[in-house]
Amino acid sequence: MLLSKLCRKSSGAASCKLLVRSTSGVSKPKYDYDLVVLGGGSGGLACAKEAVECGARVLCFDYVKPTPVGTTWGIGGTCVNVGCIPKKLMHQACLLGEAVHEAVAYGWNVNAQNIKPDWRKLIKSVQNHIKSVNWVTRVDLRDKKVEYVNSMGRFVDAHTIDYRTKQGERRQLTAEHVVVAVGGRPRYPDIPGATEFGITSDDIFSYEREPGRTLVVGAGYVGLECACFLKGLGYEPTVMVRSIVLRGFDRQMAELLAAMMTERGIRFLDTTIPTAVERQRNGTLLVRHHNTTTQADGGDVFDTVLWAIGRKGLIDDLNLAAAGVATQNDKVVVDHTEATSVPHIYAVGDIVHGRPELTPVAILSGRLLARRLFAGSQQLMDYTDVATTVFTPLEYACVGMSEELAIESRGAENIEVFHGYYKPTEFFIPQKSVRHCYLKAVAEVDGDQKILGLHYMGPVAGEVIQGFAAALKSGLTVKTLLNTVGIHPTTAEEFTRLSITKRSGRDPTPASCCS
Amino acid sequence: MQRQFANLLTNVARQVRSQERAFSVTTQRWEIFKVQSPEEFENKVKKSQTPVVVDFFATWCNPCKMLTPRIESIVGEQAGSIKLAKVDIDEHSELALDYDVAAVPVLVIMQNGKEVQRMVGLQDEDKIRAWVATAVKNAKQ
Repeated sequence: MLLSKLCRKSSGAASCKLLVRSTSGVSKPKYDYDLVVLGGGSGGLACAKEAVECGARVLCFDYVKPTPVGTTWGIGGTCVNVGCIPKKLMHQACLLGEAVHEAVAYGWNVNAQNIKPDWRKLIKSVQNHIKSVNWVTRVDLRDKKVEYVNSMGRFVDAHTIDYRTKQGERRQLTAEHVVVAVGGRPRYPDIPGATEFGITSDDIFSYEREPGRTLVVGAGYVGLECACFLKGLGYEPTVMVRSIVLRGFDRQMAELLAAMMTERGIRFLDTTIPTAVERQRNGTLLVRHHNTTTQADGGDVFDTVLWAIGRKGLIDDLNLAAAGVATQNDKVVVDHTEATSVPHIYAVGDIVHGRPELTPVAILSGRLLARRLFAGSQQLMDYTDVATTVFTPLEYACVGMSEELAIESRGAENIEVFHGYYKPTEFFIPQKSVRHCYLKAVAEVDGDQKILGLHYMGPVAGEVIQGFAAALKSGLTVKTLLNTVGIHPTTAEEFTRLSITKRSGRDPTPASCCS
Repeated sequence: MQRQFANLLTNVARQVRSQERAFSVTTQRWEIFKVQSPEEFENKVKKSQTPVVVDFFATWCNPCKMLTPRIESIVGEQAGSIKLAKVDIDEHSELALDYDVAAVPVLVIMQNGKEVQRMVGLQDEDKIRAWVATAVKNAKQ
């Protein structure tokens, strides 16, 4: 008989039930571990720790292949090391630079002429923080009794994982369940000079040289966020866009965001693709490109080239074929229970095909999976209405449907879009641009008007939208929203003040506040 | 600190060669060292006859950077009755985890291979000095 521990509550969610595992008549094969997790990132660690809480014996593999220029990092995955965390810190550095200049208008005796960012000092501070998180993660794994191996685990067969120890010897272990949570890495384009001369988001957050004039190739949120913090830190970024910015996001909001960046002096090379990167005698990089609209060929010189053209799942090193796990477009295919084509092998996080590539999605799905496996839970992960934020200097956050998705799925006549521009109180004194401060609610046209999507561009967008995401999940209607008393003066209250519909054709630009 | 020792030894060696003046190199110069391997920890810390203060630090930790010179000078004042072993927790993660190092800096006093006391976090120089002095006194009893 095996008694699972009654596990502690984790972040307020349902705790594991006390479980008694009885011996069956037939003796089952014995495995070294109840669960082996491949990947020590957001999804993998959350799953591993939750599984231990539910009484499982767990081992977690984590391994980082160095980038072409040699960058590597510790445990914690993309988010901690080369994603969310350093990104947010760089974004904050950029916002603080703006704030210091705005402070002058508010009466601070700041010598605004002499405020200069120190790239190396910033990078050192960011890296120090990341390393402290790496350490805390290791301590946490040890405290929670998750075995950790800093090596690449690969499948030998569906229940056997093979790896090499630090000393070089090959070892194998067996697992009853395996969770693949190896995530992804940035893609490089297939053009001359791409890997030799270009870097990616894997490298920029520990880049010891100043980036200088940077070409950011790619207009997804990674590229746009990088371009924005580079601009904020005094460098001159150019964004090369193959077709559209922020594919998959609401079109109107994406274009508004691009306009906001243009207003800040970030140059866009629209409908352009890179064709080659060459190093010049003086060390600069000549990027040859082709404009697919004008068919013009050109070349520009930069100090740094940053590829942000998308990410690929790390299926190559796993030997998934040996386990029989099906893949699609370098990602692992799973069903609504995160199970792969092999019943006892699962996948969570960025490696999963067709799911949002976000840390909180990976974490929650990993935890729920662990509870289903080891605590008898039935709860499945809900991937709908996941809120997200693009951390550009004026941020964009959204939850639910884009306007075009709502129109496509319900029909334009069944949709009402409330919208408006607004002016944050704090922007007046320093005369900060309010041209792109805008929000909209996409709702059903009938009855109490259930809200299908919320979109907000402005300061601290992530903070604004988070609460509304919970409201949306609870079935928020326009009626409730407009009967919610706003907090004043905030920008979030603008959601409670929405009154102009797109259908009415009225001017959504406000005259002043408080009316 | 190690560069100072190297310079001192070079100067001493030069003086010896030129026979400018008499000198003596005492073993207390080796009372402060950075642990390079688990074996070194075993031999020079756990098997040490004198008590050892182990300074668990990290290169990314600012309070650690402030503590190390403080503890070095305090141990130096003790003139050999206590040693200082510095352990980089990233270089020797398993060792640090074995000693339950969570937050850094941590000072652990080791005597006869066992932990006697620990101090977590950066403290005032006077407090550290008193703490080390007590440990030395207890070791002599």
